[in-house]
Amino acid sequence: MKYRITHTTVYNYSQSVGLCQNEARLQPRDFWRQRCESSCFEITPIPVDFREFTDFFGNRVAYFAIQQPHKQLVVTAISEVALFPRPDITGLLKHLSWEQVRDKLQETPGQTANRYQNQSQLQIQGQSQSQDQTQDSGQEILEARYYVLDSPMITTSRELADYARPSFQPDRPLLDVVRDLMQRIYANFTYDPTFTTIATPLSEVLLHRRGVCQDFAHLAIGCLRSFGLAARYISGYVETLPEPGQQRLVGADASHAWFAVYLPGTGWVEFDPTNNKLPFDQHITLAWGRDFADVTPLKGIAYGGGQHMLSVSVDVLRLEQ
Amino acid sequence: MGNAETATNTIGVQYYETRLGVYDEMVATEHKVLPYWERFIGALETMGSDEIGHRRREAQRLLRENGVTYNVYGGDEQKLARPWRLDPVPLLISSEEWLTIEAGLKQRAELLNLILKDIYGEQTLLKKGLLPAELVFGHNGFFHACVGTLPNHPKQLALYSANLVRGSKGRLWVLSDRTQAPSGSGYALENRTVMTRILADIFRETQVQRIGGFFKGLDKGLTTIARHNKDNPRIVVLTPGPFNETYFEHAYLASYLGYTLVQGDDLTVRDGYVWLKSLEGLQPVDVILRRLDDSFCDPLTLRSNSRLGITGLLEAVRRGNVVVANPLGSSVLENPGLLAFLPKLARYFLNEDLLLPSVASWWCGQSRERDFVLNNLDKLIIKQINRGQGNQTLYGSRLSSTDKDSLRAAIIAKPYLYVGQEQFSFSMVPSFIDHHIEPRNAVLRSFIVANGEDYQVMPGGLTRVARDKDDIVVSNQAGGISKDTWVLATEDDKPAGVTPQSSRNQFIDAVAEPLTSRAADHLFWVGRYLERIDGAARLLRTILLKYRDTQEFKEATDTHCLTVLLRSLTHVTATYPGFAKNGEKLLAAPETELFSLAKDSKRPGSLAANIQAFVQSAFSIRDLWSQDTWRSVDSIQHRWQQRVINNESAIEPLQSGLDELITGIVAFTGLTTESMTREASWLMLDSGRRLERALVLIALLRSTIALRHDQATQNQVLEAVLFSTDSLNIYLRRYRAFIQLPMLLELLLLDETHPRSVAYQLHQLSIHISLLPREHNKCQLSEEERLIIKAYTDLRLSNAADLLKDDGDEGIYKALDILLTDTTTLLWRVAEVIARAYFSHSQTSQLMTANNPPEDEL
Repeated sequence: MKYRITHTTVYNYSQSVGLCQNEARLQPRDFWRQRCESSCFEITPIPVDFREFTDFFGNRVAYFAIQQPHKQLVVTAISEVALFPRPDITGLLKHLSWEQVRDKLQETPGQTANRYQNQSQLQIQGQSQSQDQTQDSGQEILEARYYVLDSPMITTSRELADYARPSFQPDRPLLDVVRDLMQRIYANFTYDPTFTTIATPLSEVLLHRRGVCQDFAHLAIGCLRSFGLAARYISGYVETLPEPGQQRLVGADASHAWFAVYLPGTGWVEFDPTNNKLPFDQHITLAWGRDFADVTPLKGIAYGGGQHMLSVSVDVLRLEQ
Repeated sequence: MGNAETATNTIGVQYYETRLGVYDEMVATEHKVLPYWERFIGALETMGSDEIGHRRREAQRLLRENGVTYNVYGGDEQKLARPWRLDPVPLLISSEEWLTIEAGLKQRAELLNLILKDIYGEQTLLKKGLLPAELVFGHNGFFHACVGTLPNHPKQLALYSANLVRGSKGRLWVLSDRTQAPSGSGYALENRTVMTRILADIFRETQVQRIGGFFKGLDKGLTTIARHNKDNPRIVVLTPGPFNETYFEHAYLASYLGYTLVQGDDLTVRDGYVWLKSLEGLQPVDVILRRLDDSFCDPLTLRSNSRLGITGLLEAVRRGNVVVANPLGSSVLENPGLLAFLPKLARYFLNEDLLLPSVASWWCGQSRERDFVLNNLDKLIIKQINRGQGNQTLYGSRLSSTDKDSLRAAIIAKPYLYVGQEQFSFSMVPSFIDHHIEPRNAVLRSFIVANGEDYQVMPGGLTRVARDKDDIVVSNQAGGISKDTWVLATEDDKPAGVTPQSSRNQFIDAVAEPLTSRAADHLFWVGRYLERIDGAARLLRTILLKYRDTQEFKEATDTHCLTVLLRSLTHVTATYPGFAKNGEKLLAAPETELFSLAKDSKRPGSLAANIQAFVQSAFSIRDLWSQDTWRSVDSIQHRWQQRVINNESAIEPLQSGLDELITGIVAFTGLTTESMTREASWLMLDSGRRLERALVLIALLRSTIALRHDQATQNQVLEAVLFSTDSLNIYLRRYRAFIQLPMLLELLLLDETHPRSVAYQLHQLSIHISLLPREHNKCQLSEEERLIIKAYTDLRLSNAADLLKDDGDEGIYKALDILLTDTTTLLWRVAEVIARAYFSHSQTSQLMTANNPPEDEL
């Protein structure tokens, strides 16, 4: 499956901006089910200073600065992405229970390594190979542990735990728990773009049972972290299909957000609570982090400018099957 | 009788009370003064408590005059800057013991340096499980954006500070570490400076190690880490501003080390480099010594609502174009939970045991330690790993059972955020309290710097003692007292830091320190406030004299003249409505309004308010003033406060207060005129003065002599105006005649040789403005030049006769009034244009993030 994504952000200012510095996380990253084949920016005015780098989470970041006076800034990112449909997770649903996963995340790296080593010796495997494997899984678990803790926009609380508790039956397989949680969020919460902004706290969302994709992803992550599990926020796009017989509207798409949970031995498994779906071949990933604050698609500080008006348009075009 | 007298004058060493089981710095655990204290305490005893009390007052006076303050948050503005308090009894440390302390601090600095490098580099400690992930990731000093941004030099931690306490067995322990922007070394230096003055005799006789070498080490270290211009890097001190608690120290260190003191908006990032916004344009910056907390340093990547930082700073760091000391993210080490892991890490990194132990700590992120803490809440101190935001230190033994339950629940919910620490008994140090030497709890803050090769420890430090006897909380915010710390030298130790580094006479190219736009702004306003104070003070003084005449002689002419002057005061100080409109009631009994204009600091335009504003502006650029100049600033405020504001509302003290105020202003003017080089800072200060003096003078002339009066009143008004502008003598000597309007106008308006005339101010201003640095087209006049030339020329082209022409208007001299009004308008425009051209740093920034747009559902 191949897509071309065009994501345009326009800032109009009432007064001239003398200097503006930005960080964009608008270029899709590569990982096992996605390859970014090309990605480029069109920015006006042309930035004097532009540099790309990779952040702590492995996301692609572009830093750029506009150093001449301007009253309008247009940032367009155009990317072509190939998706590789993922294997079905139903086979994994009987896997580790959520308690087992929680306990694994609490082990210190040294202990984990020893236990794995003993097991592998029992299995009479080559020792050097087994050490490599344990080191990899140790690194993966270490990274995952960062996603168990509170983050700028998600603070675990008793309220979140109380909401999540019905899904957390003892000994239930982790993925079963998460799928249940996703279904409950989808059923209990109303999609309402007028209710929240990026600054709406999670407690408000929980209280009023309303929000948008970002809120639902944060909510699910908060629930999982309240039970000692590792969950991360994913920013990206989802393909929207026109109603049968309708023309596809260019630019009518939007940014999207969902989450993933860490399952030791398997990796990160994605869930989309807004649509009650497991991301398959229509979810294009830009970046991931602990929450929205880590992966804001475009963030900037402008000097001057007075009032600013912002408009965003996104177009997700399917290139081939 | 003689006995009683000696008794009141003894310092009480023989009654010095120590408590069982508590270590005392002077007598250890036995009741006998330690040998290295003997000589010092003997000298104090000889001196007697009256003399020590006298010297303590002397110390406080020096500290206040030097502007040594510690700002306390909250409270009203007047009390914001609290004078620094210094106890005349230092803490003495023997040379043998110092060797152990020094070695321990060096080891600890190196260890923390290695941990910092690892956390923001390879993260081996996390991977190997030597540091738990939650301890690092769960700390708000860990910034993932800073991972991989440390430059590649051996000593990342440029400046480090440890708080040391002594336990009951006499052993020293580390209570906590300061690693992001340690404060206090400047106060330690100032304490030493004052001590060598007030106890000069004792200091000379006691062999005390010098601390100056520490600052040389700091300078060398910062020069070494610069990536560009290694020979002569530009180093700046980044401060959050004059409202920060230790702002004095930021300014003090900057001027002591010869660095530029900057706030975030003095710097800008362009092309990935950091630049200083100066009057001469953008100047590259190589090293930033920061006194700003990590999270505030860059609103783009760290805390987006910070107004104190520099947008793009981290990007400049990533590219290696600027070095920040200490590196961004180093607050990750200010974590009490880390203490529990240091012994293991010392063995891992250095293959050594910790020389200086930390206070026993149990980090609750591990189940065994958590259970221990939960079971021993009564005996422990509970801290959060993150400082600030109401994260108080809790003493388990003082908690009610409900508080204990909720603390238990909080620990169980997020154990990795909590640390239990042993409840600690601090050692006591002798302190001069009231009239006696008494023991007080003490904490020693030590300072360590990377000097380019090695870690170097300041032989001394900042000792702080609790205010009250049983207080165990030692903090400046809570009103603690500071002490100098004397590390004794052995007889054969050479005093360090007195030999000059080079014996040859060298020529060094003078470095013109750029003047930041912010500093220029403040200088301009210091000049303006000064003239506002001066103009109002002189007019008020004239009014008081006239007021006394009216009280005494009750003549109608005096009363008319007084009315004119009172109305003029309202115009000059812009304190409307005042006496100006419908002011009959006030005019009949003017005293209340006059005292309000003198004393009410909340009233804009009053003398008290302008003095406060003057001092605030001067304080914001504390680093630019000489010691003497600052003392004159302090005395202006101090005297006005004492003579007038705190005094009864009576004419007498107000009059003498005004005399002193005017003398104080003359002192400040004289000192600045004699000590400032005629460069950008002088131009800014004097431009502000000239501009404001012209405005004040014009306001005075418009509201007095531009009005027509009857002959008798006019005579009095003219005399009062001359008196109020310090021009009466000149007039009488020059014209040897009865005072007449045309001559007065010549003298006060048109005479370019008279420093109190409008023409003189405009002439000087036009010269200053032509000398201000300009970036653009040098062939054309700048807008501010054009404006001042117009104002100046219009004035020169006028003559007294035309201005006083009888045009039939009964109330005013119309031509004169028009000239004065036009000049005022032009001068206001000059001020605006200068502000726009030179002080444009104040442009506000805004955060732009896309609010998530509504999306379609699948």
